[in-house]
Amino acid sequence: MRTGDLAIINQLGLHARAAAQVVRLAGEFDSSILLVREDKSVYADAKSILSVLTLAASKGVVLRMEVEGPDEDHAFDAMTALFADGFGEMPSRR
Amino acid sequence: MKKIGGVVVSHGQFANELLSAAEQVVGDIPHIAAVSIGWHDNVEVAQGEIQRAIKSVSSGNGVLLLTDMFGGTPTNISAMFIKENEVEVVTGVNLPMVIKLASQNKEMTLSEMAALVEEQGKQSIYKAADLLDPHKSKA
Repeated sequence: MRTGDLAIINQLGLHARAAAQVVRLAGEFDSSILLVREDKSVYADAKSILSVLTLAASKGVVLRMEVEGPDEDHAFDAMTALFADGFGEMPSRR
Repeated sequence: MKKIGGVVVSHGQFANELLSAAEQVVGDIPHIAAVSIGWHDNVEVAQGEIQRAIKSVSSGNGVLLLTDMFGGTPTNISAMFIKENEVEVVTGVNLPMVIKLASQNKEMTLSEMAALVEEQGKQSIYKAADLLDPHKSKA
């Protein structure tokens, strides 16, 4: 199992369209991907958009990710990259 | 995988707008259609529209009609189409229900899907403060 922290850095937080990106990416992997709020109050299956939305993760929130399965390294890296990119919503750094 | 089709049926333009909101979130949803019943449409016209919509989304696995409000005309007309394993109606449609029906990832029967969508709709209603700050709202 791979675990790590994911920070929400985009202005709008993990809103519906961002959550859709998470779910689309998570669905590409065979591994199970769990997202957990820091206080462990909410566990979400990263492959279900309605589950991801219940995380109510706004900007500044840090989520714990737990990835387990045959392609866990790929899944972990891809998910980490998506969150680090702010779901493609960060202002350009030009 | 053959998907269960869906038709959102409402008073006014709500059905179209709800489907379009769902498509903004999850992308195109070819297996779900929308029918808006005008305030002045007669029953035969509305029936015909729902009939055509059912046909357009059916892939042989059944079609779930999602209506706006139990007791309203869209629901009452939709209910005329109920037939075991072919057409089911779930009322009180909300965005999570449409998204649930949109994102089918395993094959199931129409009645299983209807139960799942009903449950999802009920579970997706929160008093937001309870979810966003559970400690504060309990105090």
